[in-house]
Amino acid sequence: MSVAIAPAVVVERSVPMAGAVELVVYHPPSAAAVNPGQFFQLAVGAPRTILRRPYSAAWSDAASGRVGFIFNVVGAGSAWLSQRDEGSELDLLGPLGRGFELDGDRPAVCIAGGLGIAVFLGVVQALVARGRKVTMLQGARMSAQLLPADRLPGADVRTATDDGSRGHHGSVVDLISSHFPPTFTGERQGGGIDLFACGPTPMLQSMIGLAQRHAVPLSSIQVALETPMGCGVGTCLGCAAPRREGGYLLTCQDGPCVRADRIDWDRMEDQFHG
Amino acid sequence: MAERLDLTVDLGRGLRLRSPVLVASGTFGYGFDAPQVDRIALGAIVTKGTTLRPREGNAPNRIAETPSGMLNAIGLQNPGVDHVARVYAPVWASWNVPVIVNVAGDAIDEYVAVAERLDSVPGIAGLELNISCPNVANGLQFGVDPDQAAKLTSAVRAVTRLTLIVKLTPNVTDVVAIARAVEDAGADAVSAINTYVGMAIDVRRRRPVLSRESGGLSGPAIKPLALHAVWQVAQAVRIPVIGIGGIMTPGDALEFLLAGAVAVQLGTVNYIRPQAAHEVHEGIAVYLQEHGLRNLRELPIRSASVLTHA
Repeated sequence: MSVAIAPAVVVERSVPMAGAVELVVYHPPSAAAVNPGQFFQLAVGAPRTILRRPYSAAWSDAASGRVGFIFNVVGAGSAWLSQRDEGSELDLLGPLGRGFELDGDRPAVCIAGGLGIAVFLGVVQALVARGRKVTMLQGARMSAQLLPADRLPGADVRTATDDGSRGHHGSVVDLISSHFPPTFTGERQGGGIDLFACGPTPMLQSMIGLAQRHAVPLSSIQVALETPMGCGVGTCLGCAAPRREGGYLLTCQDGPCVRADRIDWDRMEDQFHG
Repeated sequence: MAERLDLTVDLGRGLRLRSPVLVASGTFGYGFDAPQVDRIALGAIVTKGTTLRPREGNAPNRIAETPSGMLNAIGLQNPGVDHVARVYAPVWASWNVPVIVNVAGDAIDEYVAVAERLDSVPGIAGLELNISCPNVANGLQFGVDPDQAAKLTSAVRAVTRLTLIVKLTPNVTDVVAIARAVEDAGADAVSAINTYVGMAIDVRRRRPVLSRESGGLSGPAIKPLALHAVWQVAQAVRIPVIGIGGIMTPGDALEFLLAGAVAVQLGTVNYIRPQAAHEVHEGIAVYLQEHGLRNLRELPIRSASVLTHA
């Protein structure tokens, strides 16, 4: 594990889509080390807070030494981070955890609900760089909350919104069906696509249910898990996620990116979005 | 030439630490995970609470941040004593830092079985009896009653030659009574204190944040409470007291040492600043130098006669 504890410097702050903040930090060791899907623990200085906040790297660029983080303001920690001006220092711990396994030659379908899109800037870039065909399915409550497609170059971007203001009117999960093989032949099962997913637990559960009905092997689906997290390095055991064979795995060590067949989706609870 | 500083600590029964700064149970795993920590700089590592058989732990949600603190209800997730003895201990034997295994259980027999299994295992420097886990059924039963605490301590004492530390819970009316009881029952040292039982409620969803409803509160929020418990216990017992509770800085640690603790354990801060133990050790050394003190035994601000850690 390559881990850096060093101040990074905020070099850019912007609003990539409604309700979200993008912080770009200059930190060459992190930019060089991070794999898509890995995360950092960001120290926050908000009064009365103590724990670091886990954020996946949205993207990274080793050449410029930059790493981007995209998040929304949900509490005191993210509010504090959202107010970091250019030039201020950030204390990063990471990169941590396991990223996505991106090698392969099957078409890649990425599916994101809400802020789940944040992790896919780097993922799409890495998949495209491997010469893979990439489809990005992005869902949000409304059009303004969709990440602009020009941030996902090389991907065929399809969108869904809860209010129908852009793309499919409904769940982003509805957009997957056409990518799944028919259930009745058996021949194409497992040979179709690789799926990469990140979003609220109910969205992931609905996606898993659909995959099972189409006899898509869950091992062909990788999910970036989101759970509350304490340490981020495997010592506090706070980020438990239910394991298929019973017990728990740790989001920070076994994940955050895991094969979907490792999770007991019936016991998986949405700990954030409710 | 300045005289050489002596930062060593004697916890009894031959367990001598090179630093008064330990890392607390549950905040450092089994010593393998924490990044960028110079283990050699640590006084000792106290492991995750270890039970006779493996435990899966509690369902999520297991942790919650609270004002200047955090709640946890992990539920003693651990691989069981046999795994610890067979797989971890041989690695620890090659480390330059003592490893103290925190022992937990539901019944006296279970504690005794764990202690017996660990007694002659190379790589294990001592035991810390967790008689105070608030996050499992019956976890507190031994820690809140002086007779039960004494019975458990003497039962474990009878089967181990290792240095035996008993970790006290603050969730009692009189922590001093428990401390005296375990001292009389053969404990070599006490660590004080474990977490305070607390809870948090998700107002939007109208339910407790933690799946077990309550959990153990740690972090700076409990430091003044912990410090008072240590102050009381240190005056009441002759065995060494290890101070624990919300220590984040060298100044925090010094408060506990001044209150009569011979050493401290850092807990929650390990999650935030993995290098904190090193910083606290250095800070204590600087303080001793600045005050013309040569060792930790000169620190306590109460009568030295009640302390026998020399």
